[in-house]
Amino acid sequence: MDSLFTDHLLSLMIAMPFIGMVILAFLSDRKWVLTTTLVITLINTALAFFLWSQFDLTETGMQFVERHQWMPTFGIEYAVGVDGISLLLVLLTTFLPPLCVLGCWDSITTRLKAFMMLILLVEGAMLVVFTALDAFLFFMLWEVTMVPMYFMIVLWGGPNRVAAGLKYVLYSLTGSLLLLVGILGLSLQAGTFDIIQLADFSYSEKSEFWIFLALFLGFAIKLPMLPFHTWLPDAHSEAPTAGSVLLAGVLLKMGGYGLIRFCLPIFPEMAHSFAPAVLWLSVAGILYGGYMALAQEDLKRLVAYSSVSHMGFVTLGIFSFNNEGIEGAILQMMTHGLTTGAMFLIVGQLYDRTHSRNIADYGGLQQRMPRFVAILSLFAVASFGLPTTSNFIGEFLILVGVSYENFIFVVLAMGGIVLGAAYMLWMLQRVAFGQARTEAARQLTDLNFREMLTILPLAVAVVGIGVYPGPFLESMDASVTYVVERMAQH
Amino acid sequence: MEAFEKTMSIYTLIPFLPLAASLILTLFGEQLQGKGQRLVIPAIALSFLLSIIAFLEVIANGPINVQLYQFLNVGKLVVDMGFFLDQLTVLLLLLVTGVSTVVQVYASRYMVGDPRHSRFFALTAMFTAAMTLLVMSSNLMMTFIFWELMGLCSYLLISHYAERPSAARAATKVFLVNSVADAGLLVGVVLTFLTFGTLDIQEILVIAKSGADVSDLPITLLTLCLFCGAVGKSAQMPAHVWLPFAMEAPTPVSALIHAATMVNAGPFLLVRLSPVIVLSPTAMTVITIVGAMTALFAAVVSLTQTDIKRTLAYSTISQLGFMVMLCGVGAFVAAIFHLIAHGFFKAFLFLSTGNALTATHRHLEHEEETPALARNGLFVGALIMSIVPVLVFFSGSYRHLWLSQSSSTAEIALWIVGLATIFFTAMYLFKSVTTIFRRGPTGAKDSEPLVSPDLFSARHVIGVAVIAAIMIALLITVWRWFAGFLSPAVGGAQSQLASEFSVWILLPLLVAVAGWIVAYVRFRRPRLQQTSVLKKRLYVFFLNKGYFDDIYEVFLVRPTLKLADWTWRKIDQGIIDKVIISLGTISTALAHRLGYLDAAIDKGVMSVGTGSTAIAHRLGYLDAIVDNRVTSVGSVSIGLARWLGRFVDTEGISKTVDGLGRSVDASGHAARRYEPHTLQHNLLVVVLWLVAALGFFYWIGG
Repeated sequence: MDSLFTDHLLSLMIAMPFIGMVILAFLSDRKWVLTTTLVITLINTALAFFLWSQFDLTETGMQFVERHQWMPTFGIEYAVGVDGISLLLVLLTTFLPPLCVLGCWDSITTRLKAFMMLILLVEGAMLVVFTALDAFLFFMLWEVTMVPMYFMIVLWGGPNRVAAGLKYVLYSLTGSLLLLVGILGLSLQAGTFDIIQLADFSYSEKSEFWIFLALFLGFAIKLPMLPFHTWLPDAHSEAPTAGSVLLAGVLLKMGGYGLIRFCLPIFPEMAHSFAPAVLWLSVAGILYGGYMALAQEDLKRLVAYSSVSHMGFVTLGIFSFNNEGIEGAILQMMTHGLTTGAMFLIVGQLYDRTHSRNIADYGGLQQRMPRFVAILSLFAVASFGLPTTSNFIGEFLILVGVSYENFIFVVLAMGGIVLGAAYMLWMLQRVAFGQARTEAARQLTDLNFREMLTILPLAVAVVGIGVYPGPFLESMDASVTYVVERMAQH
Repeated sequence: MEAFEKTMSIYTLIPFLPLAASLILTLFGEQLQGKGQRLVIPAIALSFLLSIIAFLEVIANGPINVQLYQFLNVGKLVVDMGFFLDQLTVLLLLLVTGVSTVVQVYASRYMVGDPRHSRFFALTAMFTAAMTLLVMSSNLMMTFIFWELMGLCSYLLISHYAERPSAARAATKVFLVNSVADAGLLVGVVLTFLTFGTLDIQEILVIAKSGADVSDLPITLLTLCLFCGAVGKSAQMPAHVWLPFAMEAPTPVSALIHAATMVNAGPFLLVRLSPVIVLSPTAMTVITIVGAMTALFAAVVSLTQTDIKRTLAYSTISQLGFMVMLCGVGAFVAAIFHLIAHGFFKAFLFLSTGNALTATHRHLEHEEETPALARNGLFVGALIMSIVPVLVFFSGSYRHLWLSQSSSTAEIALWIVGLATIFFTAMYLFKSVTTIFRRGPTGAKDSEPLVSPDLFSARHVIGVAVIAAIMIALLITVWRWFAGFLSPAVGGAQSQLASEFSVWILLPLLVAVAGWIVAYVRFRRPRLQQTSVLKKRLYVFFLNKGYFDDIYEVFLVRPTLKLADWTWRKIDQGIIDKVIISLGTISTALAHRLGYLDAAIDKGVMSVGTGSTAIAHRLGYLDAIVDNRVTSVGSVSIGLARWLGRFVDTEGISKTVDGLGRSVDASGHAARRYEPHTLQHNLLVVVLWLVAALGFFYWIGG
């Protein structure tokens, strides 16, 4: 790992999208804009896989670290690095954007260049969030991710986009504000913004509670946890396809990542004392989200509420403080990114054809679109954690992890999985089987080559992880063990 | 266990051949449309051959262990992907691959011209592969994975005729009933891991057999949870409702589900984990009761059904109840024996039903003769079906039941249930077999007798009696060998399993014959006679399958959906979202209030302003005086300037300035083209500034 290339690999990956934005500014032809964005994002995916191949599985700390002074007066650095916890999320962040570009190849007709730039901006900002070793850098780019998403919703969104965008921004800003308070509270006491050093400092007992609460709420809103979830269905359903994919696929994961990166190692004791409440809230979220999804008539809203349910599993895993739980949670985040991303792409493909997201407008798609139904079925069953898909591995690990804490959570969480099966299969029954209910549904054409290309990598990934999860779990094992041991000491 | 350790083995191909065939068909289904069977049949037939080889090797050398790869290694949880082939496994492999081969061959004719031909064969191959993987897996987590995979295959196969709304509904229903039960199974798997600290089946069995101090409560709980999964897959009460719905699938699939794959998973799991199950007498009692209830209830229901396929479905449920009951009393070997016998004969029954239905149907169209082979086939199958439970009694395993229960009332109850089941089984099989040839397919019951089967001719009766005798003799011989072969693979006290004759043989045999006679009498005489009200009510009750479906629909499904809708509208939209929005409105209202305050402040400021103006006016006078002074100074200055102007080249300076202005203007126009006027330009500027700022701060820092 001595070469110049590997030393600056992370910075290169972060720079790629921004370079791409600059290049896009000089292009005007539609084809060229799309191709360039695709190539840039694909290069980044390749770089991420290279990063994974060079990753040292035994190392517990940060790898590929790069540090530069930025604002030395305040102790702020440009510092990036990956460990086992962030590695998979980095992979996910680079994996989805090329598919987003492919997914909206034909559907974005206005201001295409700007849209592509926004996709790149999200990717770049997300990469910094997942690799930042400096709390200020983390916060700054956390804020940046909000901007492109807002524009995506407001400029390219559905009929109710302005309200949804406003709601999204208001929620996000509230979360960010709490996060800012938390991070400032941390660094004012510790005198540094370095995330690793922040964890080693012992904070005053009085402030500990408030700082933890601020950070936790900040992350919980993003995730989102139960009472803070109402922005999610609106934002998801109004956003354009690529926006929903990125929002569900990557942006939500910042919350879970933040919990593992900040809340657990910095305040092990507070995390322990918060755990019962969080676990109960998670289980409530799992059941509640599933229950809400059962009542939806809108495909995108259904997927959005299922996200609430799945994110409940993530917090359930994280707050069981053991290897099984946390690794399950990280895998669940990744796998949720893949399946929910795929679900939004699929719904987008349907929406492109009929401009309706209403379940009642479809029916009998299997006759007209067998390929589409095959893919839809795969991701529908993946979504409720059917074995041989990656979701099952994540959920199973989380269940095992939380069973050490209290067995009642396992039983309750299983209820969420059953609900998941209920709403997904019911949706499938109404959309794919039976007879077509509208004239539009009778005129549909099956997926074309480009659309298959969009969705197949996700299918391969979901089944691949489900059948052979070893390498993915191995690469996070050392880092998670480190966090778990840290938690156990307190 | 003295198992062979292998890292790679030819037996790995048993599940992977069908799996590969399935994958190829999935990927290239469109190109291979209509030719799926050419790929699938050889693959499964080869698996069958390999199963025979495995069977012989296990007879010769004992269990085989195959390790493939490490699936998971997280914290305390280590899961290996591997196969374990012992006596139990190879027997089931023979059943699964054997029946599956036959079914595929049958299906290759049955499915000709089906628009979803490739899909069908891909899924049935996958179905077979999942079942073989299930019986071969060496780890409970893997077992669960393949358990669920099988559920998925059944779901997709039941929705084969997806354009029928009834098929779509049936598929959803089947999967949901199963997923509730599987949730219980998954809880059981997690509990097993907590209790035993491992999910490796052999390790679990070793711990269970060693009688280590595993406390009683979790064992009972985990056994019941695991049994919950078996209740689902094996269609025990109250989850039995799914099996009749699975009939929406094409007939070969029904044969697969009933004979080879899906439903056999339940008894298999119970037998596989029998050393754990015997640790909990409470759980054993529950298993026995559920099995017995199912066996009896389903037998009576199938007596009242008018649809031959539905009759067969309830007969399967009844037989499965029998197997589960045998597991509950600790007669695991007998359960597996019954399972295998039932598997082969049910496959036979289904396929001949399919033949018979097609044949009768064809007869209606083309006035052809019903093939005697199909007719007789069904009859022989039915005969053997009703003999099998008798045989199980008779083979001594039911004596085991006699011995294992300490309470005498339980004994008697089980005996009665068992005998009643045999009675009804004999009755409904006789009835359904005879009616199908009397009345033709369902729906055409008022038509004239199409074929008059000479079922009661002397020739026929003698033939059947001879076949039955041979079968019984064969089965006794097989059973003797079977009990000895399988007993190392199952738990519990198997030493009591004697296979000698006893007086008790006669009782079940007599009961079966009585069933036949009653059925015959009822069959000869038309049905609607004067019957008591109670009898009629009972008939209606069982005709409606005990109202289980309706109860679930009315009390479970509809309220859940309604409540979900209500919660979404009232709680999510009505309370949580409204609170947030009202926070917004309150803020706005507050802002309005603040607006008044603002206005007041404004007024104050304004009045200060007017005051100031007044003062300023006063000051104005002072100003005027100052002004005068300034003006006079000004005129002096102007004079001075004019004077200067005469000496300095004003024009030259003016020209230079003008030129400068022009060039600035020109560059401004030039710059204007690059000015950000769209969102992407703005974004670009932001990025450039970001880069510049980074550089700047870096430079300062350095």
